[in-house]
Amino acid sequence: MLLGALALVAAPALADTVDEAPWLTLRSGTVTATVDGTTRSGPASLSYHWDRVHAGQPGSARFDLPFVLAKAPDEPWGIYIPRAGSALDVRLNGSLLQVFGDLSQGGGADYAKAPIYVPVPAHLLNMGSNDLVIHLRADSGRRAGLSPVTIGPASQVRSRLYEPSFAWRFTGSVLLTAFSVVVGMIAFALWLTQVDAGVAGGRRREDLYLWAALAEFCWALRVADGAVRQPPLPWVEWGVLMTGCYSGWACAVVMFCQHLAGWHKLPSTRWVGRIALPIAATSMVVCYFALARSRPEWLTGWLGLELAAVIAYLCFFVAATVRRPNLARVLVASVAMLTAATAVRDWTVIRVSDAYGETTWVRYTATLFGLALLGIVVSRFRDASARARDLLQTLAARVADREQELALAYGRLEQNAREQGRTQERERILRDMHDGVGLHISAAIRQLQSGQGSNAEVLRTLRDSLDQLKLSIDSIHLPAGDVGALLAGMRYRMSPRFVASGIALEWAVDDMQPVPGLDGPAMRQFQFLLFEAISNVLQHAQASVLRFEAAMVEGSVLRVSVIDNGVGFDAGRVAPRALNERARAAGARLAVESRPGRTVVRIEFGG
Amino acid sequence: MSTKEFGSRWPDGWGVFVVEDDPRARGFFEAGVCGSPQLRLMGSASGMREAIAWLRGTREAPDVLLVDLGLPDGSGLDVIRAAVARFPGCDPLVVSVFGDEENVLSSIEAGAVGYIHKDAAPEDIAQTIVDMKGGASPISPMIARRVLEKYRSLHAAGAPGPSPEEAAANARMRASPGTRALLSTREHEVLTLIARGFSYAEIARLKNLSVHTVQTHIKNLYGKLAVHSKNEAVFEATRLGLLSHPH
Repeated sequence: MLLGALALVAAPALADTVDEAPWLTLRSGTVTATVDGTTRSGPASLSYHWDRVHAGQPGSARFDLPFVLAKAPDEPWGIYIPRAGSALDVRLNGSLLQVFGDLSQGGGADYAKAPIYVPVPAHLLNMGSNDLVIHLRADSGRRAGLSPVTIGPASQVRSRLYEPSFAWRFTGSVLLTAFSVVVGMIAFALWLTQVDAGVAGGRRREDLYLWAALAEFCWALRVADGAVRQPPLPWVEWGVLMTGCYSGWACAVVMFCQHLAGWHKLPSTRWVGRIALPIAATSMVVCYFALARSRPEWLTGWLGLELAAVIAYLCFFVAATVRRPNLARVLVASVAMLTAATAVRDWTVIRVSDAYGETTWVRYTATLFGLALLGIVVSRFRDASARARDLLQTLAARVADREQELALAYGRLEQNAREQGRTQERERILRDMHDGVGLHISAAIRQLQSGQGSNAEVLRTLRDSLDQLKLSIDSIHLPAGDVGALLAGMRYRMSPRFVASGIALEWAVDDMQPVPGLDGPAMRQFQFLLFEAISNVLQHAQASVLRFEAAMVEGSVLRVSVIDNGVGFDAGRVAPRALNERARAAGARLAVESRPGRTVVRIEFGG
Repeated sequence: MSTKEFGSRWPDGWGVFVVEDDPRARGFFEAGVCGSPQLRLMGSASGMREAIAWLRGTREAPDVLLVDLGLPDGSGLDVIRAAVARFPGCDPLVVSVFGDEENVLSSIEAGAVGYIHKDAAPEDIAQTIVDMKGGASPISPMIARRVLEKYRSLHAAGAPGPSPEEAAANARMRASPGTRALLSTREHEVLTLIARGFSYAEIARLKNLSVHTVQTHIKNLYGKLAVHSKNEAVFEATRLGLLSHPH
């Protein structure tokens, strides 16, 4: 598109070749040149390439370009000079027409970068002989000199010669600079934002984008120079900077190719990266000496070497591309070869040959390179995004799989826990049945079978059995460690017995917090233990008062005492075996004291 | 509640209707009722339908309903509800083998005012019925604990909750009629002591009350639990749109 726009503005220049030219082109005259204090005069044939004629030495010159007109024109004329500089003034028939730059001081503005147009009032032109004089001051290595001068009717010269030429060189430079800046900024933004945080050892950026950005920024500055007549630095420094940009661009392109090919990771090719920047730096050093010592050929020689090195590298790259082609490599290899070819042409024409009016071509082919960089950068970014999307999808699928597996595992675990719970509950019920109701019913059966048990004894055994069953049911709802609830339930369940036996009850049970460590099975054993102790009192003690005491002592020790005023027994001789077993099963400590009139069964837990 | 004076003997004795599917147990209860001069057996049924049919058909209100929960054709709870609905003065007593919390609590909420253990002696059965008509109501520490737990959960739900869900639930609970009036301070004290295993007499001594007052608190509590349960059911039904608002 850019090239198309340039072609449109240049179209009138092509038409010039068809029509008969209505202007005069002045190609010869005399020149009086002063270099290093020595002045010499002689015939001049334009173009006049200062560096070639004066071996790169700065100086000044006066060009006398006479011409003859058949008649004096009655319309304004104009002078078009495709290239002249570094600074100049234009005089016609003794009248100063225009001054471009400072003729007395070197190293300032450079008017050789863009074509020059000087309007000529009609009255200054004479029928017959006319004398056009151009004073010139030339800087070394700055493409100073004078191209053939065209003079003719202003309308023709301006629109058909000057404006198309200006469009190619000045406007073209601005557009190409803008394009390179845009491409460079896109690449730089990608380099800044596309950070691979997953790399071990920190965050890593994709350096391919950086080299693309550097190449484009260098090129933008280099091309912009074509539109800058008055650079912000003196000529030598500016010239060094421009050479740095040119070499920097070449090095950045090489580094871009290195990354594109993946060679930057290979030990055998990593050295290219190490020498690229020193080469660019060397170019600047060489340039400095070439300009400071007025020996532009040194720079020409160095640039030739650098060009040869880059071309060698590109040949290597092209060969590798032929062996293992892919779209990006083929694209870059093609554009790189084209650019290298135009660079060789430019080096030959601009820096070696005597041709003066020519402009560089590489500025245009480099745009193709910029387009290729842009295309590759965008396509890599698109690929990376697609990979990231795929990765995310894969990750999401894996997470979903994991979640499903987890849900299944959790389900299995839950089912196992439920089954375990059921098993534990079954075991508890079986144990209860065995230790409680089963024991009593089998005792009742034995009593009936042996015929030794009285009706009252059998009835008591069966009642014990039912009471045990009720206590079992109560224990299902007993919160772990709630001894208060356990004792209250026990008293409630046993109260018909107390009433029937005529025993008075004393209840000294504190309001207690749940006892830590007294879990379900221990609670149940505790219940059995108390039941046993109460049954002993009811059956054997002949007591009139039964006292319950329960409290937390010494902070965390639960102490429950069952005290009766019955006949007592010899605690040392009559071992309360059943009580001991129950206490052990409950994890409690048991102490029994007995004498006539006072028997104390003390149970302690915890501490 | 009965219109008769508590403890006074009715000329023919308190009318008792027995619902029990086991013939031997039914015979045992009938014998227990008949053996007491203060009680009069009005009849008996062996199933839910038969009992409800009798309740619908009888012209004389029973004073006491003795009902087993596990009937072959339905739950004794339905019989209790039917009896209380038609005869508010009728006091249902549940016959329970174990007097376990679940069954007794749901019976109380259906309208029962007490329960009798199946293994009780015949004279104890008659005595329990007479005592109950005299104002006594048995309550086990386990049931007292459950009622306290329920009260605590309602109380906690009444406090402002941090999350919107809890706040909504609290609002619902607060709106539920009867919640706030579930327990008076005195009833709460009495219930706490019962849950700790103290007898009515011990509670009366500790709190400077008469045993009768303690019993009255418990009986009131039974009524409140039934009312609360009923209101809660109505409230839930209204909330779910099962009942329409009166216009």
